[in-house]
Amino acid sequence: MSTEIQTFTEKYDLLGCIQCGRCTGGCPVTVRADLNVRRFVYDAYYEEKLDELARLAEIWDCTACHTCAVRCPKGLKPLEVLLGLRTMIIESGKVEPTVRDALQSVLLEGNPWEKSRAARSDWMEGLDVKIAEPDVPVENLIFVCCTIAYDPRVRVIARNAVSLLNKAGVDYAFLDDSETCCGSEVFTLGEEGLFEMLVEDNTELLNEYSAKRIVCLSPHCFTTYKTKYPDLKAEVIHYTQLLDEMLKDGKISWKGELNRRIVYHDPCYLGKQGDIYEEPRDLLRSIPGVELVEFDRCRERSLCCEGGGGKMWVESESKKERLAETRIKDAKALEADIVAVACPFCVLTLEDALKGLGYEEEMRVAEITELLGEFAEA
Amino acid sequence: MKMFVCIKYVPDTSEAEVKVNPDGVSVDSSRFSFDINDADNYAVEESVLIKEAGEGDITVLSIGPKQSDVMIRMAMAKGCDQAIRVEDDRIASHDPLMVAKVLAGAIKGQEFDLVLTGCMAGDDGHMSTGVALAEELGVNHASMVKKVEVLDGKVKAHRELEGGLLEVVELELPAVLTIQTGINEPRYAPIRGIRAAQKKELKVASLDDIGVDPVAVGPDASMVILEQLYIPEVESSAEFIEGEAEEKADKLASILVKGGLV
Repeated sequence: MSTEIQTFTEKYDLLGCIQCGRCTGGCPVTVRADLNVRRFVYDAYYEEKLDELARLAEIWDCTACHTCAVRCPKGLKPLEVLLGLRTMIIESGKVEPTVRDALQSVLLEGNPWEKSRAARSDWMEGLDVKIAEPDVPVENLIFVCCTIAYDPRVRVIARNAVSLLNKAGVDYAFLDDSETCCGSEVFTLGEEGLFEMLVEDNTELLNEYSAKRIVCLSPHCFTTYKTKYPDLKAEVIHYTQLLDEMLKDGKISWKGELNRRIVYHDPCYLGKQGDIYEEPRDLLRSIPGVELVEFDRCRERSLCCEGGGGKMWVESESKKERLAETRIKDAKALEADIVAVACPFCVLTLEDALKGLGYEEEMRVAEITELLGEFAEA
Repeated sequence: MKMFVCIKYVPDTSEAEVKVNPDGVSVDSSRFSFDINDADNYAVEESVLIKEAGEGDITVLSIGPKQSDVMIRMAMAKGCDQAIRVEDDRIASHDPLMVAKVLAGAIKGQEFDLVLTGCMAGDDGHMSTGVALAEELGVNHASMVKKVEVLDGKVKAHRELEGGLLEVVELELPAVLTIQTGINEPRYAPIRGIRAAQKKELKVASLDDIGVDPVAVGPDASMVILEQLYIPEVESSAEFIEGEAEEKADKLASILVKGGLV
């Protein structure tokens, strides 16, 4: 047996698998793709099969939602076997052009959206934003996220966060153009080398600031910093935790009533992976006039929107209904007026689905900061 | 097959607003991201595919600043073997003929079968450097190449012509091919490959190092004078010329003459 197969088997603890099937039984993608993660965990033990497995299109169907990892009774992460196979393809260089361009953009410009680094802070225009300085102590160092910084639809998350923080007089600071991709999607696309580089560089950058906490606006950055950056000095939290603190300290006051029925969609990276379930709900419930309802599949059973796992750059071959569409239909059945989320990717995928289904007149998808921006004093 | 692939480090102007500096002859590049010229990226891939299909040795050749090393290392991560980067501020780099003379200077004296480069640069769009390079080297060339077949001592090049026509030509080697985008699908350069490529030789050379007379490729030798850069004005009016064909031609000729266009 070669060293390589021992590494693969050991790296993903393949011998720990008891083939119970809880991973495949919970995998949300199986309804629309041929992905069978249990089979991959079984077959990947055989060295001679690895190249063949890596060439199977379904390794790119995984959204890295972590349902399989949450359900595994042995504490394994079956999805990471798929990511390991993706790494083999990435290292060969023969990847989809969209994946190639996203990864190259992370290396050259610090974001996967092929945008110039110099434009990273453009979202701040017209706002009074406090910028962090190395060695100047700050309670909350805010990490924006590439998608929020560049995508015009979700920039509102960062802009509203600034208004709320300024109004509450919270000690905070944002990074300038030096903020660089956390590598969440780099990791799930299987570019291990680039991810290792980002961990090294970002750890050095973030540790330069005397921050007590790093507050991530995206659950993807939150989970990545929390679980894959062992040498960060500051505690890592999600913005819903900070806003919930502000709410409980009486630092958020309301200027109107929403009077709407809201269903909250748990983002996989915040719930299943970050174990944050209550804070977003507390924030939504606190808005005057809100009636909060729940999906049947909520919390750790929440249905993935298919925005993670690098899926923003990999189109599924399946023509079956997108999970985001299923989710929006479920929300419609609950007669919800608003599908509230706490993740930029969920906003984009669910809103696309809502528009595709033609429900724009009767429903909307809103990030929690959007609702707070509309109904909190700022 | 001994190959050279000539690549250029260019700004991506598709996202950021292009602003001309007060000097009128340069562009504010502070908000641009830079990368390998698109067509050159396809040339790199084509050279690697030729190497993979048989035997080969590829030298990356570029004129540019130190910041462009990352682009060169990426090409080497994909399979190019060594690189030469010419860095010298005496080059009249706005003139494709001067650029071609520098590239030729770096290649001359070395054995080569094939030189590949992109058919056009994304920044100035001259489409001239590759052809001028062939002239300087005194070898055959084919431009806008969409497909390459390597034969014994020759290459068959499929050229894209105007109007969607395709021309197939055979060239005796050595030759220069300017590569059109879409000829292949450029691969990704994984970071581990880029790191491994640090071991490959990247020679930084001045004009003196490659034996090119700075005067011969400088502003005084160039017949191109960059007078002014400006953003084309968006015109909102259009004039329709009425009348019989002869009458229309007369009117059009008079407009062109009055406008100083002929």
